[in-house]
Amino acid sequence: MTAATRIGARYTTTAIALHWLIAALIVGGFTLGLSMVELPLSRQKLQWYAWHKWIGITVFLLSCIRLAWRWGHPPPLHSPAMPRWQVRAAHWAHGLLYALLLVIPLTGWLFSSASGVQVVYLGLVPLPDLLPKDKALAGVFRVCHVGLNFTLLALVCMHVAAALKHHFVDGDAVLTNMWPAAPSKPPH
Amino acid sequence: MVLLRSFIPPLGMLLLAAGQAGAQGVLIDRSEIRFMSKQMGVNVEGRFRRWKANIVFLPKDLAASKADFEIDLGSIDLASDEAETEIKRPLWFDTVKYPTAKFVSSAVRNTGMDKYEVAGALTIKGVTRDAVVPIAMKKDAAGNSVAEGSFALKRLDFKVGEGEWADPDTVANEVVVRVRMVLPPVR
Repeated sequence: MTAATRIGARYTTTAIALHWLIAALIVGGFTLGLSMVELPLSRQKLQWYAWHKWIGITVFLLSCIRLAWRWGHPPPLHSPAMPRWQVRAAHWAHGLLYALLLVIPLTGWLFSSASGVQVVYLGLVPLPDLLPKDKALAGVFRVCHVGLNFTLLALVCMHVAAALKHHFVDGDAVLTNMWPAAPSKPPH
Repeated sequence: MVLLRSFIPPLGMLLLAAGQAGAQGVLIDRSEIRFMSKQMGVNVEGRFRRWKANIVFLPKDLAASKADFEIDLGSIDLASDEAETEIKRPLWFDTVKYPTAKFVSSAVRNTGMDKYEVAGALTIKGVTRDAVVPIAMKKDAAGNSVAEGSFALKRLDFKVGEGEWADPDTVANEVVVRVRMVLPPVR
């Protein structure tokens, strides 16, 4: 058994860095998304939309890198003490989280294209319009984008609650394995 | 001769040059007036849902040819309802005072093969400026003439986007207007 798959082993530094970077970006992107729609039409509003889109594209790119990395560096195994249903639930929740990290930016991009607004990543790289301008379709993608974001919010809450439960109730290493700094002593 | 066909859209959408030799009408649901502007470096596309056109295109009699347009500015299709509301306000189109934009052609000339230039006067928000629209003509499978052209205008020439919106770094001064007109054959 390699170090990466040993029970109780930590995630690799790359996986930990990507996890927290993406976490920070989705919290920022989500908050910005909620705030920007409330702004009156102004230069600031256009700027916030641009930043929101850049964050989304960045999340998409980092998530692709993260999945590729994960494929070559499997995460630590679950503790054999963990009940079967929890392992299964964790498996599905993580799969869904990854799917949303990829699909949410795509629905945003589709929404923008269907609205007739190009996405220019970081103000430098014009991305192709995925669709021609179509107002009805833009409305559909808007609903998808918003709905999936609230699905993500619910999943992230579950994810955080589960991590805290593992750490404080079960006293296992699930949270510390992903924590940026290794614990100075074993969690138990 | 005015050619009325079943596709002719509801009243008011099509201005026919009644009684005028060679007036063709326009296949309005296959024709479009779109525009592209840049907001903070990002292309933003829009179009007008309602407009009227009076087009006479006679390749052998360009002196009698013309292309006049009247565009309902309130029918603008932009990225969001919010943007559509904003652009009708006094700082932009001021559609209460200036509900339409007009283009009245003064000359049509051939610039080689199927290329033409339509010169005319463009009026937006009470300001009139000369404009020249290069056009490429082609035939579609049904024998209709398809005229495609685009030209750039400067929105600030027409006082479109004043005050806080005058800054061209936010909304570029240049707006590219793209016109595609499908004209049924003259019989």
